[in-house]
Amino acid sequence: MGIGMAGDAASGTMISLRSAGKQFSARGTTLRALQPLTLDINAQEFVAVVGPSGCGKSTILNLIAGLLRPSEGSVRYDGSEVTGPNVRVGYMTQKDTLLPWRNVRDNVGLALELRIRSASREAAAARVAQMIELVGLAGFERHYPAELSGGMRKRTALARTLIYEPETLLMDEPFGALDAQLRLLLMDQLQRLTQLRRITVVFVTHDLAEAIALADRVVIMSARPGQIRRIREVPLPRPRDIFKLRFTEEFAQLYEELWNELKDEVAKGTDNR
Amino acid sequence: MQRSALPWQIAFGAGLLVAWYACGLLFGVAWISSPALVAGKLAGWLSSGAIYAHIMTTVTEMVTGLLVGVVLGAMCGLLLGMSRLVATVLRPIVFAVYSVPLVSLAPLLLMIFGIDMLPKIVLVATVVFFLVLFNTMKGVEMVDPDMVDVLKVMGAQWHESFRKVLLPGCMVWILSGVKVALPFALVAATVGEMMAARRGLGLVLSESGQKFDVTAIYAVLLILTVLGLVVAETGARLESSLLRWRRKSD
Repeated sequence: MGIGMAGDAASGTMISLRSAGKQFSARGTTLRALQPLTLDINAQEFVAVVGPSGCGKSTILNLIAGLLRPSEGSVRYDGSEVTGPNVRVGYMTQKDTLLPWRNVRDNVGLALELRIRSASREAAAARVAQMIELVGLAGFERHYPAELSGGMRKRTALARTLIYEPETLLMDEPFGALDAQLRLLLMDQLQRLTQLRRITVVFVTHDLAEAIALADRVVIMSARPGQIRRIREVPLPRPRDIFKLRFTEEFAQLYEELWNELKDEVAKGTDNR
Repeated sequence: MQRSALPWQIAFGAGLLVAWYACGLLFGVAWISSPALVAGKLAGWLSSGAIYAHIMTTVTEMVTGLLVGVVLGAMCGLLLGMSRLVATVLRPIVFAVYSVPLVSLAPLLLMIFGIDMLPKIVLVATVVFFLVLFNTMKGVEMVDPDMVDVLKVMGAQWHESFRKVLLPGCMVWILSGVKVALPFALVAATVGEMMAARRGLGLVLSESGQKFDVTAIYAVLLILTVLGLVVAETGARLESSLLRWRRKSD
C-alpha cells in the first residue's frame, strides 16, 4: 500500500462496513463490542459517530484502521478488504500518545522517519516545520510533551497525524479532554484543514453538538451492544462558522431532533452499568 | 528551610566526632578507636599508596560486573518481556534462582573461578543481572499499546516500533534497575573479597578484623562509604542526563 494522496475529485465509497461486527472472547465468556452493522462512508465525507459509552464507536474505528479484524461481515477500504494495519488512514486516539522522550519536532516528524515513506532529511524537516506552523505551535519545537498543556499536546498529535497526508482521518474523541474554548478553536481548525485537503473523516464523539457542527452526516449509535440507530444528513452549508453555528435556527432544530434519539440510548447506557 | 539546615548538619556531625573522641578517651581506644587515629591511619595509607591497589580492584570488579549484568539483564529482560511463551516457561526458574540470597553463591563461585577478580565479577554480574532483568520486563509490560497501534497505522514495521517505542520506553525502567543495582554491586564485590581474595577493600576489611585492628576497620568503612556515595551520585546523574525529558516535579 502506497502513500495516500488527499482526495480525488471522484466521490465514490471510501469505506464500507457490511454487517461488520466484533466480539471478544476471554476465559470462556464472549463480550459483544459491536453488533453487525452496515455503513458506507463516501470519499471526502465527514461522518460523525455519536453514542453513549461502550456502544462500540471506538471499535468501528479500530476495524477501519485494521487494528481489529471483524468477527462477522467485512470491512472494505477503497474497494479492498482491510487485512492489516491500514496505512492509508491517520488515527488520532483519545489519549494523545505522544512519545514522551521526544520533543515536539521529533514527535511530529515520526511518520516521516519510517521506511514506508523514505522522505529526504531536508524535505522531512521542511514538512515538519510547516505542520508545526499550521497547528500554531511555532516556537515550541524543542519542548517535550511533559512541558506542554493538554491543548498543545493535542495539536502536536494532530500535526503528527496529518504530516503524512493520509486521505482518511479516524478520530476518537480527540477534543474530549479540552476546555470549551479550545475545543471550538480546534474544531474550526479541523474542519478547515479537512475541507482544504479533502480528507475523509470518521469522527467519534459523545458530544452531539460537536458532531452536528463538524459533520456531513451524523450516525447515532445505540447503547451497548451497539448498532446504528439513526443516520442523519446535516445539510448545513459549508464553510461553517463553528463559533456562531450553535446559535442558528437550523442547528437548534437538528440538535433537538437528534438529541431525542440519543437521550434514550444514553439513559439505557447508564442503566445497564 | 534549606539555608538553615546546613549549619545544623555541620554542627551535628562535629558533635558526633567530638563524642566519639571523648568515648575513646573514657573507654580506651582498643574497641572504639578515635577520629584522630582513623584519620592518621588513612593518611598513612594514602601516602604510602598501598590502599590504591585495593580500591582499584574493588572498583574494577564492581564496574565490570555492572556492565556485564546490565547488558545481559536488559537483553534477557527484553526477550522475556516480549515473548509470552518464553517468559512463562522460564519465569519459575528465574524466580527460584533469584530467591537464593545471591551472596551465598560466593563460595561456589570462588571454587569454580578461583580467588582473583573473576568470581567477584561474576557475583556482581549475577546480582545486577536479576535486578535489571525484572525491571526491564516490567518496562516492556508498561509500554502503552496505543502508541504501538498508532505507529502500526502509520506504517511502521515491527523493528521500527521496537527501536522507536519499545526500547526508549523501557529505558526508564532499565535505568531505575541500574540505580537500584549499584549499591548491591558494591556489596557483592566487597563480600566476595571478604571471603577470599588477593586484593580488594573487602580483603583489607577481613584482615583488619583478624588482627583486631579497629582503626583500620573504621578507615576501610570510611572509604567504602565514600565509594558508596560516589556510586549513588553517579547513578543519579546518569539517570537525570538520560531522562532529561521527564518533567521535574515542582
